[in-house]
Amino acid sequence: MGGGGGGGGENEMYGSMEQGNEVDYSAPLRHQEMSHSVASTSAVQQRTGSAGGPESEPSGVIDDYEVVYVKDNVSVHPTQNALGRISGRLRLIKQGSSLFMTWIPYSHGGISRQGSNVVIKGGLRNRMGSRAAERDRNLYTIRAVSLSEMRSIRRQTPPFGWQYIIIVLTSGLAFPPLYFHNGGVKEFLGTIRNHALLVRSAEDANVYLVNDIQDPLQRSLTSLELTEQPAPSAPTSSQEAPWPVVLKQETPVAAESDGKQEQSLRQIFKQEQRSESGRRRDQARDLSMNVLEKFSLVTKFARETTAQIFGESRMFLDGLDMDRGPVPRPPPGPSTPPDVEVLGIAKEARPLLENKHMKEESSSALNSADEEVVDDNLNADDDAEEQAATNVGTFELVDGTQDDTPALVWGRARPPPLGTEEWRSFLDSEGRVMDPKALRKRIFHGGIEPEVRHVVWKFLLGYFRFDSTYAEREYLIAKKKEEYEILKAQWQTVSPEQAKRFAKYRERKHRVEKDVVRTDRTLPYYAGEGDDNANITVLRDILVTYSFYNFDLGYCQGMSDLLSPILYVVDSESEAFWCFAALMEHLAPNFHRDQNGMHSQLLALSKLVQLLDRPLHDYFKQVDCLNYFFCFRWILIQFKREFDFENVLKLWEVLWTNYLSEHFHLYMCVALLKRHRRRIMDEQMEFDTLLKFINELSGHINLESTLRDAEALCLHAGERGAACIPPGTPPSIPEEEAGGWSD
Amino acid sequence: MSYAYLFKYIIIGDTGVGKSCLLLQFTDKRFQPVHDLTIGVEFGARMITIDSKPIKLQIWDTAGQESFRSITRSYYRGAAGALLVYDITRRETFNHLASWLEDARQHANSNMTIMLIGNKCDLAHRRAVSTEEGEQFAKENGLVFMETSAKTAHNVEEAFINTASKIYQKIEEGIFDVSNESYGIKVGYGGGSGTAGAGRGDASLAPKGGCCG
Repeated sequence: MGGGGGGGGENEMYGSMEQGNEVDYSAPLRHQEMSHSVASTSAVQQRTGSAGGPESEPSGVIDDYEVVYVKDNVSVHPTQNALGRISGRLRLIKQGSSLFMTWIPYSHGGISRQGSNVVIKGGLRNRMGSRAAERDRNLYTIRAVSLSEMRSIRRQTPPFGWQYIIIVLTSGLAFPPLYFHNGGVKEFLGTIRNHALLVRSAEDANVYLVNDIQDPLQRSLTSLELTEQPAPSAPTSSQEAPWPVVLKQETPVAAESDGKQEQSLRQIFKQEQRSESGRRRDQARDLSMNVLEKFSLVTKFARETTAQIFGESRMFLDGLDMDRGPVPRPPPGPSTPPDVEVLGIAKEARPLLENKHMKEESSSALNSADEEVVDDNLNADDDAEEQAATNVGTFELVDGTQDDTPALVWGRARPPPLGTEEWRSFLDSEGRVMDPKALRKRIFHGGIEPEVRHVVWKFLLGYFRFDSTYAEREYLIAKKKEEYEILKAQWQTVSPEQAKRFAKYRERKHRVEKDVVRTDRTLPYYAGEGDDNANITVLRDILVTYSFYNFDLGYCQGMSDLLSPILYVVDSESEAFWCFAALMEHLAPNFHRDQNGMHSQLLALSKLVQLLDRPLHDYFKQVDCLNYFFCFRWILIQFKREFDFENVLKLWEVLWTNYLSEHFHLYMCVALLKRHRRRIMDEQMEFDTLLKFINELSGHINLESTLRDAEALCLHAGERGAACIPPGTPPSIPEEEAGGWSD
Repeated sequence: MSYAYLFKYIIIGDTGVGKSCLLLQFTDKRFQPVHDLTIGVEFGARMITIDSKPIKLQIWDTAGQESFRSITRSYYRGAAGALLVYDITRRETFNHLASWLEDARQHANSNMTIMLIGNKCDLAHRRAVSTEEGEQFAKENGLVFMETSAKTAHNVEEAFINTASKIYQKIEEGIFDVSNESYGIKVGYGGGSGTAGAGRGDASLAPKGGCCG
C-alpha cells in the first residue's frame, strides 16, 4: 500500500535508458538475426556496448525476442545535403505477441570499417564537427516503438529518389521520414501485416492504418487524421497494393507532379490545409479540430526538415544546444526569412493560436488556417522561435510503462542537470540571478544537481527573490528564522491546562502527529518507528506551526507529503517552513474543505483532454468519468505518490519553474492518460477499473518520457491549452497576490 | 484467477483508526506499523471461499481525511460491503460514526452490507469505547459488529469473511440482482450470465476454472 514507496524497481527498469542514449537490442538478438543482416552488427554492438546488455531488458525475457525484419541503409535526411543523411538499420522485433520497431543509426567507425554504405563521410564530420553529427544520430534514434503505439504508416514513392515511410503514432506525433535506400518498404509493410491489423486508408491509398479500431467513430477520426482529403497529392497511382490488404474503398489517386520528396511533402500538407480552410463551417467542428490538431503534430517534423533544407539550420541546432544550458537567442524578427512554402507548412505545425498577435476570432482551428496567420508567424517573436527550437526534441512519443513494452525513447535524453559551476554562472557578482527566465528554462529541461538543489529550490519556491543579493538573503534567513521561532512558540507555549480547553489545537496537533509518522518512513532521512527520528519531529513542528500561521486552513492530509521532500532538500527547519509556506500559497486551495481548488484543476484537466484527445474525452463522458476523480492523487500532491523520492524531486523542480505553463502538472496528467488511452478504451475501463488502473501506475511511470510527452502536448496546445485553464486555477494565484513565482 | 463472484468492499472511518492496517492484515497477513497515510484510495484483493465457492474480494481502502469526503464519496458507488471502522482508544472516532454512516447510506446502494469494526482491541488498557457501546450502536443501525486488532490479527479474517457471507446470503435469497453491477457484485467466469437474481443452488454459480488460486 502507500504508493510512495515502491519506486525502486523503476530505476532498474529504466536505468539503462537514462545512462545511454541508445539501447540496442542487437546484442541479445544476434544469434537470431536473419542472415542478410550481417553488415554492421558488431559495430553497432561495439558502439552501444556500455549502454546495452541484458540489464537493459525490461523483463529479463531476452529469449522471447525475435527479429522478424531487418533492413540496412534506411536513412533519415535531416538536411538537404546528401552528406548529412544518417543511415541506419531498421528492424522489427517480435516479443511475445508484441511487435516493436527500432531504427538505430550506424556509428561512424563501425561503418567505415565495414567499408560499405558509408553515408556519413569524413568530410561532413570535419565540417559539422563530429559532436553535432553524434547529436543528430542520437536525436533520430528510434529505440523501440511498439506497434500498438502506431496509428498509421504513410508510404511515399516519389518518381525519383527513394521510397520512404512516415510513421504516425497514436498520440499524433510522428517520426521523420525513413528513406529506404535499398528498397524493402513492401516487405516492411508485409511483415507488419503478419503481426497486426493493417488497413489501407479509404481516403489515401498511401496510408496504412495500424491496428485500426473497430469503433466506426474512432475509425473515421483515425483515418481522417492523416488523410483528410482524398489526396490528389498522393503519388504512386500506378502502384498496386503489393500484398493483400484489408481494403475499405480504394480512392483513385493522381500522379505526383513534382519529383522531389520534400516538394511532395509540402504539397500534401498544403493540400490538407486548403481542404481545412475550405471546409464548410457547419461540419462537425470538433472533428475538424481533432484532425487539425493531430495534423499539426504530424507536420512538425516537416517544418523542421524543410526549414533545414532552406537553410534554417541555426534554429534547429539551437534546439539541440539546450543540452548546454542557456543559449543566446538569435535575434527575433525577419532576419531569417523563411521560404513562403516553408511557412505554408510551418503555420500548421505551430500550435495555431499561441501567437500573441492572433485575433480573437481566430480562436477556432478552422479559422486559423487563414492566410493572415502566415503573416503573423512571419513576425513570430522570441517565444515562437523558442518553441520551434524546443520542438526539435519533442517528436518523441515514448511508452515505457505498459507491462509488455520495453522502455522506448526516441530522440535525445534530457540535458544534464544544472550543476554548481553553471549555477554560479547565472549569478552576478552580488548574487542576483541575472536572467531568471533562462534559469527557469534551464531547470525545466534539465533539472538540478542534488548539491545545488537546496539553494535553487528556495528561489523556485519564492522564498528567495531572484533579484536578491547574497547579503539580502543572509539577512532574510536570519529575519525569517526569528519570525518562525515566534510562530512556533505560539503553540509550544500552550500549557497543558490551556490545551484542555483548546480542542482545535489538540486535534490539529494530534492529526499532524498521526501523519508525520506515516510519511516517507522508508527514506533513511525519516527512517525509524514512531517519532524516534529527529526529522520526524521537525516535520511535526513545521506542520503544526503552519497550521497556526495559516489557522483558517489548518492541517490537511497531503501536506506532509508536500513538506517532506522540501525539508529533506533544504534541511533547515525555518527555511523549510518558509519554502513550504511559499508553496502553499499556490497549493492551499487543494486542501480547502470544499475542495474547490481540486475541482477547478480537475475541470481544467477535463477541458485539456477534450482539446488534446477528443476520443478519449468522449470515452470518459460515455462511461460517466468526466469528474476525473481518478486523477485526484496525482494533482493533490503533485504526483508525490506516483514516483520514487528521487524522481519526485526531479519532477517538482520542473513543475516549479513555471516555465512553459503554470499548470504543467495538468499536461503531465494528459500525457499519462494519452499514453494509456488505448488500453483504457480497449478494456472499456469504467470508474472503478479506471481508478484502480491509474492507482496502480504508481511506481511504474517513466518520468523522463512523461515529461517529454507533457512538454510536447503543452507546446502543441499553446494558447488553446491555456484557455482551458481558468485564471486562478491552482497553482496559479490571483494577480494581486502574486509573489515569487511570477517574477 | 477465476471466481464465482467478485465483491467490492469499501473501508471507511476516521483517519488513523487502522483501515489500511486491517486491509494489509487481511490481504498479506502482516501488520505494518510504518506505512504511508492513504491519499485518495488504495486497493487490495483476496480470494476467499464461501459455500465452497471462490469469491474474490476487491477492497477499497479510503482516506479518512474529512476534506476529501466530497471525492471519496464517489468510491462508495457500487460497493457490496463496507467496513465502518473506529478506534476503541479514541472516543471521537466513535462519535463520528453517525456521519460516516449517513454518508454511506446516502451514496452507496441500500443493500450494502455494513460491518461495524472497533479496531485496536489489543490496546485494552487505553480503551475509550466499551464493547457494549459498539454493540449498541450496531444494533440501533442494523449493522454487524465486531472488535478487531489489525496488530494481532484478532477477528480480522472474520470481519471480512462474515461480511462476504452476508452478501452471499443476500445473493442466495435473491435480494441482489447479480447481473446489475451497481450492487458491487460481479459474476465470475461461468458464474451464470445475466440471470436476474441468481436462484438458490443455481448450478451456474460454480466456477469454471475449478482452482481458486
